[in-house]
This record gives sequence, structure tokens and C-alpha cells, in this order.
Amino acid sequence: MPSDHRLHPLSIAFGLGAQLREFAWPAVALLVGARSTGAPWESWILLALIPYTLLSVARYVSFRYRFDEGEMVIRTGILFRNERHVPYARIQNLEATENLLHRLGGVVEVRLDTGGGQEPEATMRVLAKGAFEEMRRRVLEERGAAGPREDAATAPLSRTLLTLPPRELVLYGLIENRGLVLVGAAMGLAWEFAWGDRMTWWQRGGERTDRNAVRELVREWTSGIELPFDLASRVVLGVLAVIAFLLLTRALSVVWALVRLHGFTLARWGEDLRMQYGLLTRVATAIPLRRIQTLTMRESVLHRWAGRASVRVDTAGGGAGGSGRTERAWLAPIIVSGEVPALVRHVLPELDLDAVQWQPAAPGAFRRAIKVPLLLVGLLTLFLVPSKGVFALAALPVLLPLAAAVTHLHVRHLGWAVTEAAVLFRSGWLLRQVSVARFAKIQAVALDESPFDRRAGMARVRVDTAGAGDRSHRVAIPYLPRDTAESLCATLGAAAARTEFQW
Amino acid sequence: MSDPSPIADGAPRPLDPRVITVDRLVGAINAVVVAFALLVALLIVVVAPRVADWMKPLAALAWAAAAFAVAYRAYRWPAVAYRYASYRVDARGIEIRRGVLWRQVITVPRSRVQHTDVAQGPLERRFGLGTLLIHTAGTDHARVQVRGLEHATASRIRDHLLPDEGGDAV
Repeated sequence: MPSDHRLHPLSIAFGLGAQLREFAWPAVALLVGARSTGAPWESWILLALIPYTLLSVARYVSFRYRFDEGEMVIRTGILFRNERHVPYARIQNLEATENLLHRLGGVVEVRLDTGGGQEPEATMRVLAKGAFEEMRRRVLEERGAAGPREDAATAPLSRTLLTLPPRELVLYGLIENRGLVLVGAAMGLAWEFAWGDRMTWWQRGGERTDRNAVRELVREWTSGIELPFDLASRVVLGVLAVIAFLLLTRALSVVWALVRLHGFTLARWGEDLRMQYGLLTRVATAIPLRRIQTLTMRESVLHRWAGRASVRVDTAGGGAGGSGRTERAWLAPIIVSGEVPALVRHVLPELDLDAVQWQPAAPGAFRRAIKVPLLLVGLLTLFLVPSKGVFALAALPVLLPLAAAVTHLHVRHLGWAVTEAAVLFRSGWLLRQVSVARFAKIQAVALDESPFDRRAGMARVRVDTAGAGDRSHRVAIPYLPRDTAESLCATLGAAAARTEFQW
Repeated sequence: MSDPSPIADGAPRPLDPRVITVDRLVGAINAVVVAFALLVALLIVVVAPRVADWMKPLAALAWAAAAFAVAYRAYRWPAVAYRYASYRVDARGIEIRRGVLWRQVITVPRSRVQHTDVAQGPLERRFGLGTLLIHTAGTDHARVQVRGLEHATASRIRDHLLPDEGGDAV
């Protein structure tokens, strides 16, 4: 009989920590406020911890797992017992997260994912590192034994596909502006403190004090500065402030990238892609290749200046999660443009990006595409004429060429292609994106015709896949000649029908 | 199996014509609601003291025109929509056409059908119609709807679209 395993005893502390995190900021704010008013808040907060501690202990005591033949069994609960059987073959991902505190204790937090729905099948907070290695070995072994694809060709093949040295991370930080996220977080923090201050102010019966830490700091910094009053200096000062802000956010962004993505490695491991990154919080995660639904390559203007691109994948079930999940969907946060085809070949062997024959939009696409902007410009002018009179017409010599130029560039950068295994779509003039949907992952194909399309004899073909996020770039090819669209739909429908969809 | 005629022959088929009647009834109910709401709004505006007398018959005329437009649309539109709606089932899957101004053709391969429902509202039940709902793992087309099928036809398409191990093994 296989023996039961428990979590690491530190689980009690980490479980408590996770529960506290939800109201940690108000608590900190209260503590700060309490210190300034001299009220005995601290002791009350400690008292409130007791039920949480008991809960945490109960969870630790009741959580057991064991490795059975063909499946893992996880038991939880004291009053309501719950026994969950997870077959090894169904485990898609064992994701290990390890922050600074975890590392001090030599433990990891493990999420066990089966790809069914949004929630992980089990979260193990926390396991000893050795126990996690043991679990991973077991799962891999058992999954290999049970898996249908076990043959010589897929014998453990491990290969590093991408590593990001600090230089690349600095570039990543400069290109993707992550600094604003940090600024947002800092503003949230400041708000919490201000809120704590208001709480204590209310407690003390309306007597307003200036004990707000943030406000006081700002006042201290600015007290020595005399603002010049002529307009020119003000403008210069304002411009300087904006530049300083931009530089600061980029610098923060670089720091964020260096810390968060430190030591990023992407490796292929059998039928999985494995990723590892992080300086303070180390994350190790895996994406089974067959869970990849679509693949998108992205190049902004900055990317092109630096000769870089980024590659992301939409995985089923993972697309609708929070911001933490989308980060994990980056296959390559940044990569030298020339290396993208090689990377893609490793991930989707059936696709050779260099051999793709791109097709342009229909010849009349510009005439079809310009109609809507023209209509908008016309309406705008009509609305402005009553109030601004003839002057409203003065904008036309600027707006019309602008609309024409933008439309022309937009249409020129559209492209689509069909290979033996996938359909590709590219669009974008400033931000260029290429999306790939494999036939085996196509769920439905739709042909759309608007009244504009019909007049121009055109149609749009949309390819629907699982796990596409709201804002992800999808394969939706506009301005196709009507008959081309029709035959493309038939081709894709038939190709999808020939393949078997597997989660 | 008791299939009187094969459904999966790849021939385009129209919807059941009774859907026009159902949609006209639904449209009539909508028209009455809209006309009533407009009437209430109109009365509120007309009893306001600042409205000149000569505007009142004009407002009544406007109401009549709007009510007529809504009613006319409720009567005409279902027949037009019916002309542009069709479906085609073959061994590979189903293809659905619909839309008058904005037209759409949706192809769902049979191998991508997760599960199917046949639903019936009260009016549909009265007329022996059903709505076929096809669920896929997709995002935009996670649920594809075919309204206005004869209930028995909807059930037959559903049986055809079901995964093989469910239908043929028995």
C-alpha cells in the first residue's frame, strides 16, 4: 500500500500568510495609523489572527496525498472530507513558485493543473523541495508509461530553446513599458496609506492631522523649491518633468524585467515546453505542446529598431486568467527576429515560417477600406460646420490625406497564408502581429460579409480557436475576394474536420 | 435507426417556414411594447406646458409613423430573414448561413462538437419547432445556434453531430 505524504510543516505559516495577504494593506495602513494615534490596535489585530491560524493548522493536518497506481490521490478537509483522484496522464503542468521566503525555508508552492477550466486541480502550499522533485519525477515517469505516444522518437529529449541574458532583459524592459505597472502599484500603496490616515482621523473625532506619511514626504521634498513664474520656465520645467517621468518609468521597467525574468530559460522536454525565470520569485512551469492553441508573433516599432520580436502562445484554459497568467503565456518575451523561425520550428515542427507564401489582400481592398474612414471624416465635418462654419472645412486637407495614408499602410501590411498544417494571418503597420492557427486547433470557421463587403465583392474569414483572449490577435482575414474567401472556408473546414481535436 | 431520409446529404436546406409565423408573433409583441412606450413618452412631452398647439397633431403623426414602421418591420422582416437562412449537413459537419445585411456562413466540423442541445421556447413548442445549440471549445463561436428547425429535424441533426462512440456503437 502506498504511503501518505503530507505538506511541509511550514505550510501553516505560508497558508496564514496567503490568507492575510488579502487584507494585508488595510492592516498595514491601520497599524501605521494606530502608531501615530497611540491606540492599541496591534493587540486587536493579533487577536483576529487566531481563527486564521487554527484554519491554517487544520488545513495542514488534513491535507494528504499519495501516489497510487496510475493516479495521484489528494485528500483534504476535516468535516467535509474530499478525496480527489488525478490520473497521471491528465496532469498537464506542475508549476512551482518559489519566492524569497520560500527559499529561506527550502520549500516551493506547487500548482497541479489538468487543463480543465480556470482553476488549478490542486494547490500545494507548500512542499519541501525534495518532495516536489520526487513528485515531478513520479508524474513524468507514470505519464510516460501511461501516455499513448510512447515510442523511440519521443524518448526524453531535452533541449534549451531560449535563454535571456541580462542584456536582453534590459532591452525587454526598454521596449515593453512595464514601469507604468510599478507606478500604478506605488499609487495604490499611497492611496492605502491616505485611507489609513482618514480612518484614524475619523476615529479621533474629526480633528484633521497631517500625519499622512506620503503627503508629509512630498511636502518635505517640495518645501525648498521656489517655482519660477514666467511662462517659458514653466513650460521648460513641465517638459523636463515629463521626460524625467518617462525615463523613470523605463528605468523601473528595466529593473522589473531584470528581477522578474532573471535567468529566463525555455526548454523543450519531451512533449512539454518548460520555462524557468525569476530572481526573487522563481517560477518553473510547463506547457504541454498539444495545449498550444494559437501562436502569435509581435513586433512593435521599438522591437524593429532593436531587431527583436516577441512570441506568445494562447493555451486553452489559461487565456482568461488574470495578469499573472498572461505572463506565463510568453514563449519568448524577447528574441532576435532572425531566430523566430527556428524557435517556432521546435515548438510547432509542422510549420516552417521561412517557407510561408504570403498572399496580399484583394486588389480593391484600399477602395473598400477607405469608405468607412471617409464616412467618419465626412460626418465629423458636417457636425462641426454649424459651430465653426467654413473653418471646419480647413481640417479636410489634413484629415483626408491622413486617412488615406493610414488606410493604405494598413491594407498593405495585411497578409494571409495557408500551409499544409496551419493558417497564418498578419496585420499591423506600427505594431506588426502574425498569428498562426493549426488545423488541428480550429474550432469553427466563419465567413462574414458586411454591406460594404458585398458591394465590393469581398468577405472576411474568421477562424475560431479555443482559449483566445479578448485582446489577443486572432486569425480574422479581411478584404478577401468573395470566391477566395469561400474556397478558403471550405479548405479550412475540411482540414479541421480531418484532424482530431485533443485538449 | 429510424431515419426516414438522410439528413447528412450535403444539400442546402431552408429552415421550417413556420419560423416566419413565430418570428412575426414575437415581432408583434415587440411592436406593441415599443409603440406603447413611445406613446407614454409622447404623452409626457405633449402635456408639458411649453409645447405649441400646432405641434401636437404633428407629434401624433410621428407616433403613428413610428408605430407603423415597427409593425411593418415585424411583418416583413421574418420572411426576408427566412430567405437568407439555410443550413447544410454532411459527413464532415454543419454549415449555417444567416443574415440579411450582415451575412455570415459558419462551418463547424463534426469532430469539434463538444455537445449539442435542442431547446424549445413556449412559442416554438406551440408550432413544433426547436433550436439546435452546438457547443464547441472555441471562443467567439463557443455556442452556435440554429433557430427555426422542425423539432424532429433538430433532433436528427443533433444525433448526427454527436461523437461516433455515442451514436454508432449502440
